[in-house]
Amino acid sequence: MMMTFARRLAAAAVALALALPAGAEAPVLQPEVAAGRLPPMAERLPSEALVVDPAARGRVAGRQGGTLRMIFGRARDIRLMVVYGYARLVGYDADYRLQPDILRAVEVEDGRVFTLHLRAGHRWSDGHPFTAEDFRYWWEDVANDPDLSPSGPPDFMLAGGKPPVFTILSDTAVRFAWDAPNPRFLPALAQARDPFIYRPAHYLRAFHARYADAAALAPLIAAEKVRNWAQLHNKFDEMYNFDNPALPTLQPWVNTTPSNNQRYLLVRNPFYHRVDLRGTQLPYIDRIEISIAAGGLVASKVTLGETDLQVRGLSFADAPVLKRGEATGGYVTRLWRSGVASEIALYPNLNYVDPGFRALFRDVRFRRALSLAADRRAVNKSIYFGMAEERANAALPASPFFDPAAATAFAAQDLAQANALLDEIGLTQRAADGVRLLPDGRRLEIVIEGAGERPEEADAVELLTEAWREAGIRVIWRPLDRDILRNAAYRGEAMMPVWYGWDNGIPTADTPPDGLAPVDQANFSWPMWGQHFQTGGAAGEAPDLPAAQELLDLYRQWNATADARGRAEIWRRMLAIHADQVFAIGLVSGVPQPVAVSRRLMNVPAEAVYAWDPGAHMGVHRMDEFFFAE
Amino acid sequence: MTAAPDPRDRDGHYISPEGYDAAEALQELDRRDLDAPTRRLVWRRFRRNRLALASGALLAFLYLALPFAGFFAPYDPAQRNADAIFKPPQAIHFLTAGRFAVTYPMVSELDLETFTPRFAADTGDPRPVRFVARCGPDWTAAFVVRTNLRLICPPEGADLNLLGTDRLGRDVLSRLVIGAQLSLTVGLIGVAISFAIGMVLGGLAGYFGGLADAAVSRAIEIVRSLPELPIWLALSAAIPPAWGPVSVFLMISVILGLLDWPGLARAVRSKFLALREEEYVRAAELMGASTGRIIGRHMMPNFTSHLVASATLSIPSMILGETALSLLGLGLRPPAVSWGLMLNDALDLTAVEIYPWLLAPMLPVFVVVLAFSFLGDGLRDALDPYS
Repeated sequence: MMMTFARRLAAAAVALALALPAGAEAPVLQPEVAAGRLPPMAERLPSEALVVDPAARGRVAGRQGGTLRMIFGRARDIRLMVVYGYARLVGYDADYRLQPDILRAVEVEDGRVFTLHLRAGHRWSDGHPFTAEDFRYWWEDVANDPDLSPSGPPDFMLAGGKPPVFTILSDTAVRFAWDAPNPRFLPALAQARDPFIYRPAHYLRAFHARYADAAALAPLIAAEKVRNWAQLHNKFDEMYNFDNPALPTLQPWVNTTPSNNQRYLLVRNPFYHRVDLRGTQLPYIDRIEISIAAGGLVASKVTLGETDLQVRGLSFADAPVLKRGEATGGYVTRLWRSGVASEIALYPNLNYVDPGFRALFRDVRFRRALSLAADRRAVNKSIYFGMAEERANAALPASPFFDPAAATAFAAQDLAQANALLDEIGLTQRAADGVRLLPDGRRLEIVIEGAGERPEEADAVELLTEAWREAGIRVIWRPLDRDILRNAAYRGEAMMPVWYGWDNGIPTADTPPDGLAPVDQANFSWPMWGQHFQTGGAAGEAPDLPAAQELLDLYRQWNATADARGRAEIWRRMLAIHADQVFAIGLVSGVPQPVAVSRRLMNVPAEAVYAWDPGAHMGVHRMDEFFFAE
Repeated sequence: MTAAPDPRDRDGHYISPEGYDAAEALQELDRRDLDAPTRRLVWRRFRRNRLALASGALLAFLYLALPFAGFFAPYDPAQRNADAIFKPPQAIHFLTAGRFAVTYPMVSELDLETFTPRFAADTGDPRPVRFVARCGPDWTAAFVVRTNLRLICPPEGADLNLLGTDRLGRDVLSRLVIGAQLSLTVGLIGVAISFAIGMVLGGLAGYFGGLADAAVSRAIEIVRSLPELPIWLALSAAIPPAWGPVSVFLMISVILGLLDWPGLARAVRSKFLALREEEYVRAAELMGASTGRIIGRHMMPNFTSHLVASATLSIPSMILGETALSLLGLGLRPPAVSWGLMLNDALDLTAVEIYPWLLAPMLPVFVVVLAFSFLGDGLRDALDPYS
């Protein structure tokens, strides 16, 4: 099984890298090349460049040039350009399958020995060759350096708790060999937040104590006002934060501006490894100009035509304003769909401090009753004009695990059944105003806490309040600050937070099932159990609910399963448990996400899924193929 | 007329034995003014300021109507209508189709070109609007009587949203009317408390001086030096989550009142320090007047104008500040209905550009704030009748 996977990856890459057509030099680079400051294109491209065929995906081959303007909310959002750029060793394609990208090919044996083949002649954005040495530098001098990585290599590099054996096979091939299968490895490389298992060794060595003299480092440490060489190294080694213009990169656009609060300018990477069938080097767009503006201003700036491609900072509530401003702003509004498993989900806290309510939340009948009593149609109709899907927290149709039965399990409003379930639990006593009473005489009052950032949440809870009143449950809405909410949840004091569903609504067999098992305290269903797992049992509590134990068990199995079919089977079982147990009560999913696209900008998909992981927001939609028409 | 004829009066007229002073007679009218009780003087002076009088009348009407707000609201403020989301204001057509007042049923559909709902009136189907009739769910008048009598009743089978509807299809007019109940009252409590404490403590410090002054002054300094944000954060953690939004807000306005008095106490104290040295206060003391009488009768009237001015100044910020603490979970929040909340919902470009009727609460806020200012202005002038 794994070998076929590897063959598929390799075959796909080789097929595309057949022959390198000779395209024209990018106009913006011609003076540089003429002046001899830059080698000609043929020498800049890897000899095994990745040749893309835009037509195969319904796109057109473009022309180079132009400046794309976008607006981000905060200075540090410049890191989103690493996300949007989405040059990864392996990345997801439009169908969320892993494909080699920076790598020419990946060979996988038994799910535990990974051989990565680089593209011969691939260069960093400063022209220095990108080789196996850059992998070695990361693995030996960063990930395993006690000063730079005090807690050791990241989790996805450990299989069964043990690190791999790293071998350099040649200048363009490296091998990571684990004893046990490591299914997390390739998906981790394709994440929106790239862990960067390679670093520009030629640049960073100057800041590493193993390669630089203490005497040479001392003035740098003093000049940068840091305490030691490790901090100095970290300060310059910002592959993801993207705020060190001197740091070489492999992304399609290179940041030229140090961190600031106003404006960033990114220019094309002259050594980028992709070309189209006509031999034109990608990206098509020469420059990207990022302005920083407060979230509330994004919609009005779009209508004034101050951006060419905007999705950040826009929500469905902005759609009418966007539509109205299309003529003056020179753009069109497209509706993509959100890729989270549920846009608004409620998490009965199975670790809530109060024993009475905790017992109730742990009763599956209670959770089902809550879900059955929710009026999803009203939420959809009132908040999303009926354009969302009324579904439980479940895999979306784009996922191979989409199951209509799971998506609608306990999701159709049925007050009679909800009331019957609540009566069956024994909540038969009621107060004068119809609110049910707990066995100890307290009123069944549920405090729903939210981060108070999204007006939709408050509206949905208001609709929920009405619906649940019919089931004899009183709801109290309590908007909090995001951090206050999180801390309350970690202490077990949040009763039923409202949040998004699983971040990943389009899981595949390769997706780590982190959101579904009690392995993370940030999951509002089981903060204590998550703590227990994350701290190795030092804090929190061990899961004591059979279904949760089974999820944890399946999670461990997934991590040890080499076979994709076996992992898919585990995913299906975990999803089935969630559909049956209703750990999170999802209200709607597939919410429309407006995207403002300049009328001149081509190749932007008309319909698409907007998701963080997998998807990297714009990443899987391949921004390097967008271009400006004449 | 039995008095003996005066020998000086040859015509037999009556002549007052007290004689007549023409100059005194001229002053008599003024004297009556000056001797009249203060409240009559104040009222007489106040009445002359038409704007203040009108403002006072308006506010009196508003406050008297608050217990009966449900009568003026066509709908229950929480009643949603999923078929009428973001409906623009509807009109009542008078003397049409042979009826006194009619309105037309509206049908909505989502306009995919604009992503806004589009409403079309079915003008072939006029429905009579009823006035002073029974409809909708019961509301509670003056905390006791349950009734469903309303000033305007939407016709059967059609809606009547005179100021449109909001994003959940709730009637803006009804929310505005009911929202007045909270907006015009709850915030006032904090101000009342801070005024009471400020006047009493400031008065004590200023009048008695010495130890009392030192104690109050130090207390003022301590309270003023407390950092506000951490206190609110602590409060947000301390308030039981099961409390309803209105009681949370009530509690917060009480606490804010308890923290907010030093500014006023200082002003009162300095005023008292100055007034205590006045000769009429000394005179009253020498005549044996009690402390309470001196403060109440002789000193207070001298700075009521200042109090009124600062009270009216703090009302606008109170109404608008209802939601300021929502971030910490302390402000008013749904399902409570208030003007501040409604405006908070309308604070974005969409409301201004696409659904301008959501800004309707601006008008009553504007009117009430102005009315309070005019009233305060008039009162301040009137309370100093001798100036």
